[in-house]
Amino acid sequence: MTVLASGDWVVHNPDMVRPPARPAGNFTALDGSGLTALDTAGAWKLLDVLRAGDEPLSASGGAPSLEFRNFKPQHLSILRLVAQHFAVTQADATRHPASIRAVLGRGALTFWQHVLGLLNFVGQLTFELATLTRHPGRYRWRELGAQTQAIFINAIPISIALIFLLGVVFAYLMGVQAQKYGANIFVVDGVAMAICRELSPVILAILVAGRTGAAITAQLGTMKVTEEIDAITTLGLSPYAVLVVPRLIALQIALPLLVFLGDIAGVLGGMMVAEQQLDISPAMFFDRLDNILDMKTVLVGLGKAPVFALFIGLIACRMGFAVKRDAQSVGVNTTSTVVQSIVAVIVLNAIFAVIFVRLGI
Amino acid sequence: MRDTVIEIQDVNTTLGGKAIHRGVSLNVQRGEVIALIGGSGTGKSVLLREIIGLSPPDSGSIKVLGEAVWQIKPARLGSLRTRFGVLFQDGALFSSMSVEHNIATPLREHTQLPLSECVRLARLKLALVGLPPDVATKQPSELSGGMRKRVALARALALDPELLFLDEPTSGLDPISARAFDRLIRLLSDSLGLTVFLVTHDLDTLFSIIDRVIVLSDGRVLGEGSIDRLRGIDDPWLTEYFSTRTGRVQEEG
Repeated sequence: MTVLASGDWVVHNPDMVRPPARPAGNFTALDGSGLTALDTAGAWKLLDVLRAGDEPLSASGGAPSLEFRNFKPQHLSILRLVAQHFAVTQADATRHPASIRAVLGRGALTFWQHVLGLLNFVGQLTFELATLTRHPGRYRWRELGAQTQAIFINAIPISIALIFLLGVVFAYLMGVQAQKYGANIFVVDGVAMAICRELSPVILAILVAGRTGAAITAQLGTMKVTEEIDAITTLGLSPYAVLVVPRLIALQIALPLLVFLGDIAGVLGGMMVAEQQLDISPAMFFDRLDNILDMKTVLVGLGKAPVFALFIGLIACRMGFAVKRDAQSVGVNTTSTVVQSIVAVIVLNAIFAVIFVRLGI
Repeated sequence: MRDTVIEIQDVNTTLGGKAIHRGVSLNVQRGEVIALIGGSGTGKSVLLREIIGLSPPDSGSIKVLGEAVWQIKPARLGSLRTRFGVLFQDGALFSSMSVEHNIATPLREHTQLPLSECVRLARLKLALVGLPPDVATKQPSELSGGMRKRVALARALALDPELLFLDEPTSGLDPISARAFDRLIRLLSDSLGLTVFLVTHDLDTLFSIIDRVIVLSDGRVLGEGSIDRLRGIDDPWLTEYFSTRTGRVQEEG
């Protein structure tokens, strides 16, 4: 018995979704005289329809053995080519969703690898730093300058604006409460303490984590993808000395300075609100500030900054080096850097708070 | 039944103040395997990008499969693009997807076929380009350069295009893989009735699978035809280009 194929068996034919049913009975030949167009998708569909219908799909399921009759030569060559490779399309193509245990296990493993990777990175870096101390000539001063410009100078406007507005809002909200008790002047205490001790260091560390941390990971990651880091290594240079150390040092310089500028901006923001809302003149404000804001408070805030900067820098550089050679990995690692850095900053800040309370600072 | 699938008339392009094309005109017939050659900076890749609708020429008309690429509406251009496939120089595989989903992507976007059938068809294309079935579930980053090119070719063939554009298909491949890739292109173009337009520097490709060569030089089409005909053209670049091969031909002979 012969089956007659006709019409357009091509991928763009909308009827491809609803192919005809398999003709009943046994057939040994396929007649292509009625075909007007055929492409590989159509040929595959044709063979798939004619495949012994009841047979379950299996990897071994080959094309139905048929005699091809009356095909145009160009159709026949397509059909032959597809029939030859038909078996591979019969393997199970559905994706099985991963079980919850697999997801959890993979997550835990990834976390552990992050920890190990960071440890390994710190070890390598320490070694490189030791070499660098013995050969200070290898140090990249120019790169340090460029990085300091990018991390510190370019971040000054946003940092000042951010903490200034924070000071304004903080003073305003506190002023509303303080006015009820006639305790206007204590707003100065609140703003100064909060900005200098907590808000400026933490908020600016988070800003730098998002701004600089992401930039470092994306840049190092892209350099990894384009094999620039391999090129640096083969030129006999150390990627740690060339790329990582300047960034870490620039961060060490930048974050404390930004926090210092933030302190000033925040206090000024508070002063502006104090004058407008609470009738505290700038002279009074400064007088009060001089009395209550001791050096210790400012130094506590400034002292946290280098630690935050160190962790942001380590995480960002390490995630940059950990990028695999594809675009998606750059995105994943950049996101991971920002998340890890922000978590690190907040956790470190909590640890600092506990330590300082215990020490009575 | 020979009809013109690519028709380029008097195309002019200026890039960065430099005239790249000064009146380029050429035609490609259905079923031909055409190579575009020319020295570095003669605008081969730019011309290819203009034909496939990625960057516009300053003036001139470019017709692909009867449609004027730069005059038709975006929707028409979109449906025109489903009728040709492009193989980019480095494969340009989507790094976030497995191999089979890379190939299935055009099918999912432009047909109503269910996902499982798209994946089955993707595996068929993978077999057509000569890759083993276990490649299907791998990520592009796990593949060698030659395999990436084959996967990219499979993706270019996903929608059974009438026309295939290849940008330096054999660059970055070792000679054995390159020749195998050449044979694959010829096999597919013969059995699927494809028209192939490729930009290349590879003389071995020219000698093995090309029907007709078009030479771009100094912003114009310097000459076209078989290699023997091009050898007759008196042009310093062409002479030097073919001389890089002559020595080897004599050795082999």
